[in-house]
Order: sequence, then structure tokens, then C-alpha cells
Amino acid sequence: MGKFTRRALLGSVGVVAIGALAYGGSRVACRYVPRNHPDFFSLIDVPDAPVVRRIGALALDRAGGAGGLDALAAALAERPLIREALATDCPTTRKGLVQDACAADFAEERTVVVDGWVLSETEAALCAGRALSA
Amino acid sequence: MIADLRSGAAPAEISGDVCVVGTGPAGITLALELARKGKTVVLLEGGGPIYEEESQDLYRGAVTGHDHIDVANSRLRQFGGTSGHWTGLCAPLDPLDFEKRADMPTHGWPVTREELNPFYARAQDYLDLGPFKYELADWSAVLPHKALPLDPAKVFTDVYQESPPTRFAEKFYDRIANEPRIQCWMHASLTDVTLQDGSDVVRSITARTLDGRQTTVKAKTYVIACGGLENARILLNCRKQRPAGLGNERDLVGRYYTDHMTIETTTVMFNEGVDTSLYATDMEAAGTKLLIGLKLNPDLIKSMGLNNNSAFLVPQYDKEVYNDDFRDYGWIAFSTMLKTFSRGHVPDRFAERYCDMTDDLGQVATGVYRHAVRSFMPPVQPARVYKLRQDAEQSPNPDSRVTLITDKDPLGLNRIALDWRVTSDDLLKLRRTHQVIGAAIGAAGLGRMRLGIGEKPDLELAYSAYHHMGTTRMHDDPKQGVVDRDCRVHSVANLYMAGSSTFTTGGCANPTLTVVTLAIRLAEHLAVAA
Repeated sequence: MGKFTRRALLGSVGVVAIGALAYGGSRVACRYVPRNHPDFFSLIDVPDAPVVRRIGALALDRAGGAGGLDALAAALAERPLIREALATDCPTTRKGLVQDACAADFAEERTVVVDGWVLSETEAALCAGRALSA
Repeated sequence: MIADLRSGAAPAEISGDVCVVGTGPAGITLALELARKGKTVVLLEGGGPIYEEESQDLYRGAVTGHDHIDVANSRLRQFGGTSGHWTGLCAPLDPLDFEKRADMPTHGWPVTREELNPFYARAQDYLDLGPFKYELADWSAVLPHKALPLDPAKVFTDVYQESPPTRFAEKFYDRIANEPRIQCWMHASLTDVTLQDGSDVVRSITARTLDGRQTTVKAKTYVIACGGLENARILLNCRKQRPAGLGNERDLVGRYYTDHMTIETTTVMFNEGVDTSLYATDMEAAGTKLLIGLKLNPDLIKSMGLNNNSAFLVPQYDKEVYNDDFRDYGWIAFSTMLKTFSRGHVPDRFAERYCDMTDDLGQVATGVYRHAVRSFMPPVQPARVYKLRQDAEQSPNPDSRVTLITDKDPLGLNRIALDWRVTSDDLLKLRRTHQVIGAAIGAAGLGRMRLGIGEKPDLELAYSAYHHMGTTRMHDDPKQGVVDRDCRVHSVANLYMAGSSTFTTGGCANPTLTVVTLAIRLAEHLAVAA
């Protein structure tokens, strides 16, 4: 086995340091870059609770699996009230908009039954998202 | 006049304008109404003035279908009939219940709700109810709470009234005894109906006691008013001149038996702050006790092909002390005895009630304890979780039926087998009904629902409401019904049926109000025809 020289050591440290710097710098820089894939499910305040994930997993089973988190998020974001919720910073307003979206689902018979619960498609999808992001 | 056939005082032949068999709500109402119109009435009661084991035993039979039902003790063979133990909840059938429906070919009465309205209004007094008002709008001005803000195109708030409940024996015994146009014979069980030779006219009926005394009753018109099961049994037993039984030429007597499926399942969780006080079990307005429920819009029921249903909210508490799951036969017997003793009377069927109470002493003790605790420690917060309780309608089903078995009672009449059919379709319709209610609650932002009926329904959820209906159903077409719109047996000129056996379909309203209504209507008809 060859001898590990001082030059090799410094080189390795340099590579790691540059890599760390690049990664750290990128993370900082990225904070200021508008994102196409926001942390959707945190934004609309769905609690990350076991019961939510369980209902979400059942909803996914019932739907025969979904197209993944991104597809689910994209589908949800097509709903005007959810889009509006994503664009607002106020948690109370967000919550109200999500509730309105659910109420609209119920009124327009967009409901699903998951583990006996009669849910709006929106809330079932949000629970499914939590299950996928867990 | 009230007399006892066992006394030997009865003549060999008794006569009157009308012979009414049965002294339940239908028979007593009919007799009183006819007497008021100047008709003489022979009123026969198979039992005595109070409960007797020997008489009640005549009701014993077999249960061959869905077995959450009973044929021996759910009805009473005594003066006053089954009003001796009914619970008193009343509502008229809905206009929808009378309609013909494209999705159910055998649905639809030959009369409309509008035709029955004047008789419904008169029936209220018999049952000690308030005014004939069963819509929320009739009561909203005097109700202390608001209805849930649900979309009325889907779900609306429905009103029932509660009778004390009226015990016909207590309320009408003296009136019958003092009415000169009525002669009432106790212990007089109908054992045969005789037609005039070669005709479709009843010539006489035979009434017997268990100790062998017998009399013949002759009248212009005969009415059998013995309840949903017994009416069919009597017709099927009259085989002397009609081998298939009276009125049973088309094998319809006993078919289309229907009941209300008593089901307490499906949970509703309301959001904090939602006021459900209107739906409490102790609601009273302008002196009338009410029970308020949720019902689907009739147009939606038709478009979705559902059955009718009223769902009532039963509160569920985390702390068991506030729950009412101790209300079993024992508790009912105990509370009935307590109420009757407190009025200074000895309860009827004392021994039976005492034994019911003793058998269920644990539940009685639980009930007493919980009531005591509640009196000084009422629930801090109103309930937010409720179960839906209902007496749900079934679709008309000719295979659900009463038939005779070989076993005979001491009077020589064959006993019955009841093959009550509860189907997955009935329960799936109820599940869809609940889903609509759940969606309406969700749309209003009031809460969420968890269904208690699965996609593959558990039939064991359904219990009989002991509302025996449909076994001599009313229909204009003799191929589809045993009696015509006037409740006359299609194939017999002067024989009529009264009571819930004539119901074409069951709706979801408790039947007693409609039983009394149809009896008043029949009396009007017979006052002219008899």
C-alpha cells in the first residue's frame, strides 16, 4: 500500500473544503431564488401527526397510489383556493382558504370515504401528501 | 258496554252494523268514530283488560329470517293493544312515501298525503299530540334554538312530535264502556270468517274464548284490526271456503312485510362552537314535546334511488356517566314502574316489568347512579360527537313475509313464521343517505362524519323497530295489493282491514299516527257504506 503524503492530505482537505463551501454557499444562495416546488404541505399547515399520515396512507391505497408528491402537489395547486392559500403568508387566512376549498368539495360532491370518514378530496389529498412526505 | 265472553252472558249471536276485531289504536279509534256517526259496533278483543300470559301466548310464532326481531312480545294481546307499550314518537308519512317511483315499481300508495291531511289533523287528539304541524317553519318562532345551517336542497331539519305516550286502555276504557252504541267483548278471539255460500260476502264471524265458549257475530261490515302480523295470520287461517286463505287468491297476504330498521351507527363530530341544542331529546315548544332530526330532500331521495330516513342525533360523551347506554329492557321497566307508582297507580304487567328490572339490575343501578351524578354535575361542555339513530325505511320486498306453520295455538289457528328480510341494498341506501348528510355537514363547515355502515354492510346492525307493516298492503290493482284504497279486501265485498298491515310502504315515520289516521278515514267511509 502506498504512502499517504502531505501533499495528498492537503489536496484532500482542499477538495472537501471547496465542496463544503460550494454546498454551503449554494444553500445560502438558494434561499433567495424563487422556488418552483415550495414545501407545499408545510405551507398549508397540515399537521404532521400519525393519524394524518395513517389517513393519508389509506387514501393513497384507495386511489391505487398517486403519482408521487410532486404530482399530488401540482394537482392540488390547480385548485384556485389552494393556490390562493399558497400565496398568502397569514396562517389564519391560509387555514380559512383550505377550509373553504374543503367545503366547496363537499358542496360539489367531490368526496371520498377513507376508513369510514367522509372527506373532501382536498383534505384527503393533503393527508396523502403528509404520508408521502413522511 | 264492556263484557267478557268467558262470563257466559253473551248470546249465541251478537249483531251490529259493524264488527271490529281488535282494540288497539286502529280498532278503538274506528269503534269510537263509527259510534259517533250513529253506527252500532260490536268490538272484539282477544285478550282481557290487562296483560295475561295465556292470551299473550297466542302470539307465539317462529322467526325464520333476520332474527333481530320478535313476534311474541313485541305486540300486546289485551285491551288497548300494543299502545300498552309503544314509545310515543309520531310523524305523518311524507308526500314522497305515497308517490309512485320509477326506480321502485312496487312503491306508491293509491292515496296521497294531501288526501290524508284532514284525517291526520284529527288523529292528533287521539294521541294527545300538539297541532298538526310537522315542518320546522311551523315551529321556528317558538323553538329556543336554531337549526343547523345545512343546504336545504340536500338535507333539512325534520320535526316529530312525542305522544305521552297515550295508552288506549287507560284513555278510552271508560268511553268504550259508557258508549251505548258499542258492545265490546273481551276474551273473544276471532277463529273463523264465514262467507255466504257461493258469494264473496261475509255472513258471520266466529269468536271463541280459550275455555271453549263461542259466539257468532253478524254485521253488515267487518273490520279486522289486529296488527301487522295478526291481520295476515287471520286471513291465512280462514281456509274453509277459500283454500289459500281469505283475500289470498294471488298469494299476496303476508308478503311485503316491512319494518323499520333501527340502527344506531355513523358518527358525526361537530366543530367546537356548533350549536346542536335543537336536536336534544328533551325539546319542547308551546307545550308540545318534539324530537328534531335530519332528513334528505325528497327530490334527492328520488334522483339517487334512496329510501326515506330521519336521522336523530344521540350525544356521545367521553365520560361514561353522561351516556345513556344503560337504557335496556330493565331500565325501561324500572322507569315505567317508577313513573306509574309516582302517579299513585300500580303499573300494568307488574310481574313482567319487575322481572325485566331484576334481570337487568346492573343496568338499572348504572342508570340510577348516572342520573344522580348528572343532577349535581351536569356536563361541562355540550357534546360534540353524536351517533345517528334512525328507524330507516326498507324497499318493498315480496319475499319478506309472514306465513303459517304447522304448529297451532290452543284455538286451533296455525301460528306464524316471520321471514323478515333485511338486505344489503337497504343498508347501502342508508349508507349513501349518511354520506349525503356528512357532505352537507362538511359543506357547511360544521364538522365531519365517519360512516358506520361499510361498503359490504353488516346486516347485524339492523334491529326491528317492532313496526309490523305491509302484510295486507293497499293497492288499486288486486295483483299488487290485498286491500283497495278504502282498505276493503279486494275479493270480499264487506271485509276491511285496518292498521299498519295496509301500509303499501313503510316510509320512516313511526306508524301509530298513520294507523289512527287511516282508522278515522275508514270510519268516514263505513259510516256511508255500512
